[in-house]
Amino acid sequence: MLGYVSWRHVVVVVKMQRAVSSFPLSSGVKLKLLSAGFRFAGDLQHVTPPKLSHEAGLSQQEALEALQVVTGGGAAASLTAMELLQMEAELRNIVTFSSKLDSALGGGVPVGKTTEICGTPGIGKTQLCLQLSVDVQVPPCFGGVGGHVIFVDTEGSFVLQRVIDIAAAAVRHCSLLAEDDEQRGAMTTFTVETILSNIFLVRCHDYVELLAELHLLPDFLSDHPRTRLLVIDSVARPFRGFDDLSQRTRLLQGLAQQLVALATRHDLAVVITNQMTTRVRGSQSQLVPALGESWGHASTIRLLLQWSGSQRLATVVKSPRHMDATVQYQISSDGFRDADQSDERQAGV
Amino acid sequence: MKLDDLELEPRITAAVRRGQRFSSVSEVFGVSVLDLQRFTGLSRADVQQLTAAAAASCRRRPPVPALLLHRGECGGLASGLRLAVGCPVLDELLRGGLPVGGVTELSGESGAGKTQLALQLCLCVQFPTQHGGLNSGAVYICTEDTFPMRRLRQLITEQPRLRTDVPPSLISSLCFTDHIYIEHAADLDSLSVCLSRRVPLLLARGLVRLVVVDSVAALFRAEFQADDWLQRNKQLLALAATLQHLSDEFNTPVLCINQVTDVFNSSDRLSPVMSQVSPALGLAWANQLMVRLMLLRLQGVVAQGDQRSALRRLEVVFAPHLDKDGRDAAVWREGVRGVCVCEQRTSCQ
Repeated sequence: MLGYVSWRHVVVVVKMQRAVSSFPLSSGVKLKLLSAGFRFAGDLQHVTPPKLSHEAGLSQQEALEALQVVTGGGAAASLTAMELLQMEAELRNIVTFSSKLDSALGGGVPVGKTTEICGTPGIGKTQLCLQLSVDVQVPPCFGGVGGHVIFVDTEGSFVLQRVIDIAAAAVRHCSLLAEDDEQRGAMTTFTVETILSNIFLVRCHDYVELLAELHLLPDFLSDHPRTRLLVIDSVARPFRGFDDLSQRTRLLQGLAQQLVALATRHDLAVVITNQMTTRVRGSQSQLVPALGESWGHASTIRLLLQWSGSQRLATVVKSPRHMDATVQYQISSDGFRDADQSDERQAGV
Repeated sequence: MKLDDLELEPRITAAVRRGQRFSSVSEVFGVSVLDLQRFTGLSRADVQQLTAAAAASCRRRPPVPALLLHRGECGGLASGLRLAVGCPVLDELLRGGLPVGGVTELSGESGAGKTQLALQLCLCVQFPTQHGGLNSGAVYICTEDTFPMRRLRQLITEQPRLRTDVPPSLISSLCFTDHIYIEHAADLDSLSVCLSRRVPLLLARGLVRLVVVDSVAALFRAEFQADDWLQRNKQLLALAATLQHLSDEFNTPVLCINQVTDVFNSSDRLSPVMSQVSPALGLAWANQLMVRLMLLRLQGVVAQGDQRSALRRLEVVFAPHLDKDGRDAAVWREGVRGVCVCEQRTSCQ
């Protein structure tokens, strides 16, 4: 009978058996390693770079690189579920300033996850993105995240006038709430000017510029470690009208993976907006989010904004933590807010 | 951009050229990192260098803090410049006028006054910036009827009556007809020729800073049958992309005039139930617009001196920086002017 073997031990053993040819090294280096007799990851375990370069005929640089790749320089240590639970408890949320939507989302838009906002033109997707860009900067003593934001605009809908309206309203709201000295002190750094200085705008005109910007984002994030929100408004625009749909699907899958990696590695909330399109099935037509079926799996949380008569409704259609819920909201001159109570009573909601 | 122009180590450039898969930099983003390694035979670090250099060359401008935009230190990007309509009531509704960096749509029934407003804008654009203009001319592309030359001449004669805020000497010094370029495009092909050759030339030379397409719907409704909608969508998206590109490249407002269709199915969740009509061309077109305005014809007549006009209403359907609001308006000899509420009450039947 086998004695108790911990999972970590099993994982380590499996890692040692991995063939050198399966690692992402250049073919010349692989050839040299194999001909020198290093066939498995375990063979390279206790080899120093100078010894490897001597035995396999590699340059010092190549040997160093090969060892880093093979001995798991990129792979993170495995975590237990308990550790994950503790990490989740520390996750923060960015409020939307609509209390109903915040409770439907479990506190707000979560940092460390990707959230997608879908809706028809004019429903309020950009408004919610602008609101979140201001809300992410709310100081921690008010319950906010106190972070910066990078706003990737592909539609040209980032209008400064509107951002200033929303920022001014948020500052007014927090000034009214300020009770103790700490909060009053924080208000000196939460002004319209500082809010504007912490929103970084990038304008992308096509999918190439968008993908290029995402490639360069890790460098930006290491220069600006306080960034907690990435907004892409919208991800659909550069990818509409693609002729080669299979290429589009591949690009979108790569994009989705990049966004998840950015969200987890850099502790960012990633918010993307998507357009709607009509799907015709026989004689029926239906409004569905654009970019295809496979894109539906890209984000952790999906928020659908739609009209119902003259009311605006927000539905959480996909969330790992909460049931589907629909709330009513409005876009006022101050930004994204709960619908007026009087409107609700009239509508019989 | 050519791959050879990138600043890379010669062996990386050589490996890419040997692979013979990529002719331009943008194609590098079309494939995943693993595929890149496979095609070029380079190591992961080299591929990362390649994508970083490609990304840096594709990026037009690094992220900019919104505060610098507010201070006007980034010419062109989200400048907040507006093209005034020439009437203080309507300009107040639009918070300054048409935004310079996006496609604005003006839809309405026939006889509502869309062409009137478009002609008025062709004159407004010629005023200097302190009077709400852009100090340049306009190009007017007719797709339906011939250009209304007589009406334009009448508007020019009556300009001093409309623009009471501008000194008469300035108005008389402007030679309006010299700076309005008229194009006719009866079908999609001639429109695309016009937009790809003549219009960019006029824009590049600084001769015009307003593009009007009157109307977009006419081209699409005539040419396509009901089952050609896939092809129609493709053409629509291509046209929208061209217009957006012109607007971004030359920082120019683009005004598209659209027709309306009747709304039968009021459970259509595209927009709130507002009126009996909705703009033509559907969701695919609506997704490409920044600002959507509608000119409605109402019951009632307004009188002013010896003139009488049917009452109209200019509504903002959606815009990222505007309230969903409207103003009553009327069409006079001197142009389209908003009607103040007090005026309306005394003169309306």
